[in-house]
Amino acid sequence: MPREIITLQAGQCGNSVGSQFWQQLCLEHGINQDGNLEDFATEGGDRKDVFFYQSDDTRYIPRAILLDLEPRVINTIQTGPYKNIYNPENFYVPKDGSGAGNIWAAGFAAGEKLWDDVSDMIDREADGSDSLEGFMLLHSIAGGTGSGLGSFMLERLNDRYPKKIIQTYSVFPDNSSSDVVVQPYNSMLSMRRLVQNADSVVVLDNGALTRIAADRLHVQSPSFAQTNQLVSTVMSASTTTLRYPGYMHNDLVGIIASLIPTPRCHFLMTSYTPFTSDSVEMGKTVRKTTVLDVMRRLLQPKNRMVSTNVSKKSCYISILNIIQGEADPTDVHKSLLRIRERRLATFIPWGPASIQVALTKKSPYVPMSTRVSGLMLSNHTSIAQLFKRIMTQYNRLRQRNAFLENYKKEAPFADGLQEFDEAKAVVQDLIEEYEAAENPNYLQYEGGSSGLGATSGNDAREPGRTRME
Amino acid sequence: MGDPSGGLAHQWQGNQANSGVPKVQLVQRDWQPSETEILACLPFTLQGSNTTLFPFEAIPAPSPAPSPKEGESARIEHVFTPEAKMKIPNDLPIPIVGLLHRLAEPSLLFRSLERFVKDEDNSSGGLVGQSLKAAVGGELRGYMALVGGLEAEIRRALSMVDEGNVGKAGVTLKRCVVWTREATMGLRLLGVVVEEAKAKKGGQLISRIHAFSTSHGDPFVHSFAERLLSKITTPFYNTLRRWISSGELSDPHQEFFVRETADPEPKITYGAFGGLTNFAGLVNPSNKAMASSVWESKYTLVNEMVPTVITEEVAKKIYLIGKSLNFIRFVCGDAEWVEGHSKIASKEFRYGDTHTLESSIQEAYKATTARLIHLMAERFHLFDHLRALRRYILLGQGDFIALLMESLSSSLDRPSATLYRHNLTAQLEHAIRGSNAQFESADVLRRLDARLLDTAHGDIGWDVFTLEYKIDAPVDVVVTSHCSRQYLKVFNFLWRTKRVEFTMSYAWRKYMTGARGVLGSVEDLLGQDWKVARGVLSEMIHFVMQLQYYILFEVIEASWNKLLSSVNSDSATLDDIIEAHKVYLETITEKALLAPPSARKNADRDESYLRRLHEIFKLMLSYKATMDSLYSYSLSEFTRRQESSARIETRTKQGKWGITEADTSINPLLPDSPASSNSNSHPSKKPKLATGSDPGDLNIIRSKLSQTSTEFRQRVILLLSDLTNQREDSNLKMLAVLLNFNGSYVLPTHRRRAEKEKERAERKAREAAQAHAQAQQADGGLKPVGMRRGGSSRGVSMNREGSRGGASRDG
Repeated sequence: MPREIITLQAGQCGNSVGSQFWQQLCLEHGINQDGNLEDFATEGGDRKDVFFYQSDDTRYIPRAILLDLEPRVINTIQTGPYKNIYNPENFYVPKDGSGAGNIWAAGFAAGEKLWDDVSDMIDREADGSDSLEGFMLLHSIAGGTGSGLGSFMLERLNDRYPKKIIQTYSVFPDNSSSDVVVQPYNSMLSMRRLVQNADSVVVLDNGALTRIAADRLHVQSPSFAQTNQLVSTVMSASTTTLRYPGYMHNDLVGIIASLIPTPRCHFLMTSYTPFTSDSVEMGKTVRKTTVLDVMRRLLQPKNRMVSTNVSKKSCYISILNIIQGEADPTDVHKSLLRIRERRLATFIPWGPASIQVALTKKSPYVPMSTRVSGLMLSNHTSIAQLFKRIMTQYNRLRQRNAFLENYKKEAPFADGLQEFDEAKAVVQDLIEEYEAAENPNYLQYEGGSSGLGATSGNDAREPGRTRME
Repeated sequence: MGDPSGGLAHQWQGNQANSGVPKVQLVQRDWQPSETEILACLPFTLQGSNTTLFPFEAIPAPSPAPSPKEGESARIEHVFTPEAKMKIPNDLPIPIVGLLHRLAEPSLLFRSLERFVKDEDNSSGGLVGQSLKAAVGGELRGYMALVGGLEAEIRRALSMVDEGNVGKAGVTLKRCVVWTREATMGLRLLGVVVEEAKAKKGGQLISRIHAFSTSHGDPFVHSFAERLLSKITTPFYNTLRRWISSGELSDPHQEFFVRETADPEPKITYGAFGGLTNFAGLVNPSNKAMASSVWESKYTLVNEMVPTVITEEVAKKIYLIGKSLNFIRFVCGDAEWVEGHSKIASKEFRYGDTHTLESSIQEAYKATTARLIHLMAERFHLFDHLRALRRYILLGQGDFIALLMESLSSSLDRPSATLYRHNLTAQLEHAIRGSNAQFESADVLRRLDARLLDTAHGDIGWDVFTLEYKIDAPVDVVVTSHCSRQYLKVFNFLWRTKRVEFTMSYAWRKYMTGARGVLGSVEDLLGQDWKVARGVLSEMIHFVMQLQYYILFEVIEASWNKLLSSVNSDSATLDDIIEAHKVYLETITEKALLAPPSARKNADRDESYLRRLHEIFKLMLSYKATMDSLYSYSLSEFTRRQESSARIETRTKQGKWGITEADTSINPLLPDSPASSNSNSHPSKKPKLATGSDPGDLNIIRSKLSQTSTEFRQRVILLLSDLTNQREDSNLKMLAVLLNFNGSYVLPTHRRRAEKEKERAERKAREAAQAHAQAQQADGGLKPVGMRRGGSSRGVSMNREGSRGGASRDG
């Protein structure tokens, strides 16, 4: 049973998105609410064992660990329709269950206490898989638990499983309406871990999600359920090639290796089209979907789940289109030529890049009203703008030294606030790296926090020697 | 027509009735023999019997026919090879001789025809020949009747002559000539027919005679030929009926247009392969009962034997019907159905009833074709096998292939001689169980096998491993052994490509996860190297991914869709399927750069596509290997740092100086002595560390990396420009587009010269900068050499570096 992926869900957002995701997977694989296969789900061709394992009574159990510091969302899951599919041992809510109070530091510190228990869970799941591919963390970076506990988990996973892929689906806060006043702090602190401890981050911008939900679904203020559905649609689509093996992209590495050339530029944007009533409640019916339509729409900024303004210089580092449904390779062929002809996508000037396409099956159990649907995973330099926004907000808050008391109370800040400065430096480097990637001489760029070039590095490291000479 | 004794008798009677009018008085002259004598002999002569007056003389067969010299010998020229000549008494007047000549013709013809009919050697003419003889015999009987009537007349006349009343009798030589004229024409025609029939048989014979009926304006000839045809085609139609009703060929004299090949030995050609690997080991020559050979070569359609009474199209259908029936019965083992079919389909065919024939052939054709397809699809799972071939040999089942490659990779890195087949099959089993291949039917899995090709000395496992999908009768009629070899060829190429992708992705994962830890902490020293190397690695990943996308989706998947649509059409016959499958494989091999796009094409040019790809693959693998060295270098650098900081810590704790000269190598004067390595607290680890951290090694790695990447780029550009400039195949152009979607590779033939220049300048600048950086780095890297603790087990390289370092310092 190869290439398993263990999903870790941290915090409210992570767990809500996660439960939606598992529901979607169950539907697509024909697994009913008890974890048993539906009678009609006899058709092979899908691979359930990437995300599920079978219990002794052959029920399918998600390889998921659900963590939260307050019991509300987890309780909802445990009483919800799909409560029986999860392994009851994989829920973790501390007994006091007071939550992290939207403070990153609280979440992070809580991690220290619960790590023993959680690491047992993770090890148990890891031992239960034949060849673990990696981990998938679902969380938001704005609150306390998802960001704080999530960050902690990322650091520890890094140490404990240094050779496994760590991917995250991170929900970034909507900067226009911040319900949490300290979210720039939380985001900044989480960002550092996302840069340093994850291999691939799928960025889901809450602002863009709300916008897309409002635009495409014609609702004034989309509910959480609706945006979560968007996210779970994206997640399930981005894992189709893993779950329906075909010629290529059958493991996580296969997908992200072609997307991420350098370690730090691993923040991926997604676009999905069309959202229909099948995937999202109240979805708009899109009449005609050809491969070309889908591929063109995927390139439109308004379908991106990250709100950024595309500047003249910004460009795609890489693109992977996952096309589901009845897509003829010759249509893809034509679409690629058309896109190239009309220069609908700008690519990096320093290396070969193209729109890669993966054609996959779609679930036979979930009826779709559209012929073709597509997900685009892309590495685009304009994502730096998102980080810049976080940076600006952070700076605004930090300059006033506002709301720092709650952070100072916690362990990571016991020795002072340099944690903030380090995080800021890391994010600043990241922004610079993305900007550098817009230049033809990117590969010669010498940047990064510790990324002084090799030459200067030597010199800096051994000043004494230099002087001696 | 129904009267077997033929129409000559009728004609004779008719003629007799009409020709009573012109009565010529013959005047007795003094020539000898007299007309009465001649008339008395005439009936016998006409029957080809010798008489004293007109003896027949056999012409010696071997000698070439002598040209007619004198009037004595009457010969029929150009029509019927004379076997005899008739002697005519010398002293007759010219008009009589003329008359006698004309009467000699039917006599001689009759003799020859009779001999033909009585010829005991029946086998030469075959069944149709025999029936021709019978028909000719019938006609001759008619002629005999005529002669009989004539004789009666002559006798009556002669008796009247005896009464001295010759004139009244009205039987003269001239009149005899008139009376026999029609019959002579008939005999002449028969003569022509028999002459034509010589050395012809079966269908050809029928065609010949049919030609008389269709392409002769004379209604007499036409109806004569038709009459003949209706008789002689009977054996042909009987054979035909058996053939299309039960698929049996009862054709003892090889007259039918379908012929059984003597020994359907499969032809095995080894030559076509050469290029990649030797596949000869895979062909099993002992497998003689291959369905493909039964289908392809057990029966052949002999076009010249197709009688013109049926069209070529119908002939082809007839051929297919019988072949299918035969195939169904003997290869598919469904004799029951064939028997049922033969009961329904056996109808009498007759000449002239074209409509019944064609409609029942159409019916039988439909029925057998449908049945055959049904059998192939349902009982022998042809389409399942094709699907399985696509999944396993053409790598469609990605998870299976990935797992197989993963579990095999370590053993395939070793020399092929160390591989054991049972090992491979165990891994194969593992891959099947671990992937969705486990849901495949047992029949399909049973056929899947891992094999080693004939090993050449020095091969590693990757070169000789192959997956094989066993095809047996009757499916091998579609997937012939030639096709199997093509599949293997494609597999071999795809497997190599996949291996490169696998290696590259594996490397990517290692370096990427490494970046979170080890590599991150040595970034100050090696960050730039890693960055550049990663750029190249991602370029390579891009290359191999796009190449795979092209082959797997643009080529295989698209061809597969075409195959499906042509196979799924209702009118598809087995031959259509075979053809469609052949085209499918050919398209794949052509478009996947494996085979010449067209036969015209220069052989070494197309070779070069594949060879070039292999060269590029080799470079990629070598780049990855060098990156691995960079990785282990980084790793040892990392370990060294950790150890030194750990040492500092312990020493500090012990109250000593954290850093001593020995281990931090601050002192450049410290000699590279074994003593220093012994001073290390971990002597066992020491040599390894030192080699890894050897800056000389780093320089080697750096130059190798940049060399390999430059060469890689050059080769890719070369390949791209060739792909772009070729005109034969738009698909190959698409490959070039995919590989160079954002125009990152600037092709030499590019028109935008300015841009090219710019790019070149940029690259030059880049390279210069790189070289500069490297030089600097080398410098920077070298300097610590002497200062760091030395103690390399590889003293040679140390010394060399040391001297170089010295030189740079001197400079």
